[in-house]
Amino acid sequence: MTPILSVRDLSIDYRTRRGPVHAVRDVSFDIEKGETVAIIGESGSGKTTLAVSFIRLSPRSARITKGQILYTNDRETVDIQTLPDDELRQYRWSECAMVFQAALNSFNPVINIWEQFADTARAHGMKDSAKIHARAQELLDLVHLDPDRILKAYPHELSGGMKQRVLIALSLLLEPQLIILDEPTTALDILTQRSIIDLLGQLRKKLGFSLIFISHDLSIAAELADRMITMYAGTIVERASVTDLFYRPRHPYSVGLLRAVPRVSGAMGSVASIPGSPPDLIRLPSGCTYVPRCPLAIAACAEREPDLVPVDTPNHEARCIRWKTVAEQVGTAEVAVAEKIATA
Amino acid sequence: MSVADSTVAGRAVIELDHVSRAFKVPGGTITAVDGVSLAIGAGEALCIVGESGCGKTTTGRMLAGILHPTSGRLLYEGEDVWRKKGNELSTFRRAVQLVHQDPYASLNPTRTIFQTLSAPLYRHKKAKGNRDATNRVRHLLDVVGLTPPDDFLGKYPHQLSGGQRQRVAIARALTVDPRVIVADEAVSMVDVSIRISLLNLLLGLRSEMGVSIVLITHDLAVARYFAREGRIGVMYLGRMVELGHSEALVSDPAHPYSAALIAAIPEADPRITRSKERVALKTAEVPSLLALPPGCTFHPRCPLAEPGLCDVQIPELLPLPADTPREVACHVAIRERRPAAELLA
Repeated sequence: MTPILSVRDLSIDYRTRRGPVHAVRDVSFDIEKGETVAIIGESGSGKTTLAVSFIRLSPRSARITKGQILYTNDRETVDIQTLPDDELRQYRWSECAMVFQAALNSFNPVINIWEQFADTARAHGMKDSAKIHARAQELLDLVHLDPDRILKAYPHELSGGMKQRVLIALSLLLEPQLIILDEPTTALDILTQRSIIDLLGQLRKKLGFSLIFISHDLSIAAELADRMITMYAGTIVERASVTDLFYRPRHPYSVGLLRAVPRVSGAMGSVASIPGSPPDLIRLPSGCTYVPRCPLAIAACAEREPDLVPVDTPNHEARCIRWKTVAEQVGTAEVAVAEKIATA
Repeated sequence: MSVADSTVAGRAVIELDHVSRAFKVPGGTITAVDGVSLAIGAGEALCIVGESGCGKTTTGRMLAGILHPTSGRLLYEGEDVWRKKGNELSTFRRAVQLVHQDPYASLNPTRTIFQTLSAPLYRHKKAKGNRDATNRVRHLLDVVGLTPPDDFLGKYPHQLSGGQRQRVAIARALTVDPRVIVADEAVSMVDVSIRISLLNLLLGLRSEMGVSIVLITHDLAVARYFAREGRIGVMYLGRMVELGHSEALVSDPAHPYSAALIAAIPEADPRITRSKERVALKTAEVPSLLALPPGCTFHPRCPLAEPGLCDVQIPELLPLPADTPREVACHVAIRERRPAAELLA
C-alpha cells in the first residue's frame, strides 16, 4: 500500500546572519495509513521544523534545499511543496491537521467556541451553519465534552485540558487523514495528560487516522506510538518499532535519551543525563554529529557521517557504526534500558 | 540520619507550623494553602508534588520567607521567623534561598555572570575587593559545574543554554552559604536530556555541604529520583494529603489521590505504561478553590469516600502504621490501617 505521507531526502535550512542553519538534513520516512509515529529528540533537533514543513507552514527564513514531501489520499499523490495555493488550503485541515505546541493559546480570545468552529469551517468552504453546528456537537461529544456548555464558552472559561480537547475536536472538523501533534500534553497536569492520551487512543481506533506526534516526552511515545524516530542535530539517527526503540535501541543517543528519564514504576536503574550539548547547526562537525557526547565514540566515528544501516532486529535502522557494541550492552530483553546498563 | 530523625521537632532547620495562606481574588477569597505543617531536617532532600493549583508553590514561597502566612508560623531553628527583626531576620534571609523555575527570566540579561554572582557577595560582605570576589565566583562556578570558570565570568545570560543558566541561578543561591535551598520546578524548563545532571548537582550540594533542599515539582518521577533517600509530600487543593518516604509512597501510595496520580502517570516504558492499572475516579472535575467541598476536599472524586464521614470531617495528617514512616490525611486509610493503594486493589 502507498504510504499516506512519504518524506524523501528532505533538507531544510534557515537563513541567518551567521550563515545557513542546517535544521533538517536528509530525512526520509513513510507513514502508513492508521499508523502512529512519534518523533523524539531534544530541543533543537529539528523535529518541529520537520513537522511544520508537512503543512508548508515553515517560517519565511526556512528553505527546503532538497527532497520531497508526498501525500497520498484515495485519489492521488501530491507533492506538498508544489501544491497550488487553493489546493494547499484544501490539503491543510481537510487532509492534514496540526495542533501546535502553544495550542492552548491558539484560540481567538474574543470569540466563543462555537464561533471558533464556525470560522474554521467557513474558511474551508462549509457554509451551512446548521450542519457546522451539528458537526461541532458531534465532535465535542466525541472528545467527552458537554457541547451545549462548551460551544457557548469563551476560551478563558475553559481549563487547559478542556482547551486541548476542544482543539483536538477542532482538528477533526474536516475528517483529516493525518494529524500532527506537537507536544500534545506538555503543559497539562498528570490526570489531564492521562485523559488526553486515552482520548487520542480511542479516537485513533474509532476514526483510523494516521498520527504523527513530536515530543521530548518519551512516556507519551511509549503510550501511543507504533513506530519511533529519534532525531539528533537535524537528522534521523534511529528508526524502530516502539518496543525495539525502548528495549533494544541501537544508537547511543537513543540510549542516552532513554536513560535521561526517571520512571515512577519499576526499578530506577542507572539514570543519567547526556553530557554536553547538541552541536552548532551552522558549523556541523564532520563525521557523526554525536561524537562529542558519545560514550562509545572511536576515531573512525569522526571521519564521515555514518549511514542509516539495518541492525539486528527487522525494520530497525541506526546511524551508528558502533551499533553492535550498543547491542552487546543493551541486549534484547524487554526491560528498560536504564535497568540493563550498569552505572558507568 | 534517617528520615524519621529529621522530622523530630527541634532538629528541623526550618519548619512550617499549621500555615495557611489566603489570597483575595475577584469573586472571593481562595485558600491556596490550608493548615500545612512540614519540618525540614538538616541535609534533607524533600520533594513537594502536586498538580497546578495544589498550593505547592505558595508553600515553597512561605518556606523561603518571601510570602507571609495568613495564619500559622514559620520556624527557623525553632524560632518564629516573622517575629524576628533586623540582623536576626537577615540571618534567616541568607539561610534560605529560592531558585526559580524559569532561568530565562530569573537572571538579569544586562549583567555578566560575574556581576550577577559578585553582587550578593559584596552586599553580604562575603568578599573584599575585586580579586577576592573573582576568586569566590570562580569557586562557585566550579561547584555548579560551569568549567573552566574563566570561560563564563564575562558571559551574559543569553550566551548560555537553559541548563547553564539554571546552574548560574543555583550558584547565585550559594553565594550566601545557605542552609536550605527551595527549588521551585527548577528542572522543568530545561531539556529532558540534562535534567538528571541538574538534580545530581543539587543532591551533591546536599551531601557535600549539608544544604537541605526542598524541590517543588509536578513530576513524580523526578521527585522519586531526587528524594530517593528522603521524603515526598503530596498536596491536593491546598492540603498536604500524604507525606512519607519516597519509595514507599511511590510503590504503595497511602492516600487515594496519590494512588490515582501514580496510576495515571504515563511511563517511558511501553510494556509498563500500557498495562498499568488505573484508579477510576468518580469525576475528572477538580473543585474550584473558591468553592471547596466540605470535609476531605478529595471526597467528590474519591472511590473510597464514605458519606457522613469524608464529606463532613476534615482528615488530619496522621501516621499510618507501616514499615516505613509515613503520614496520610485519609479517614479510610487510617481506620483500615492500610494504604489506599491496597484498599483500591
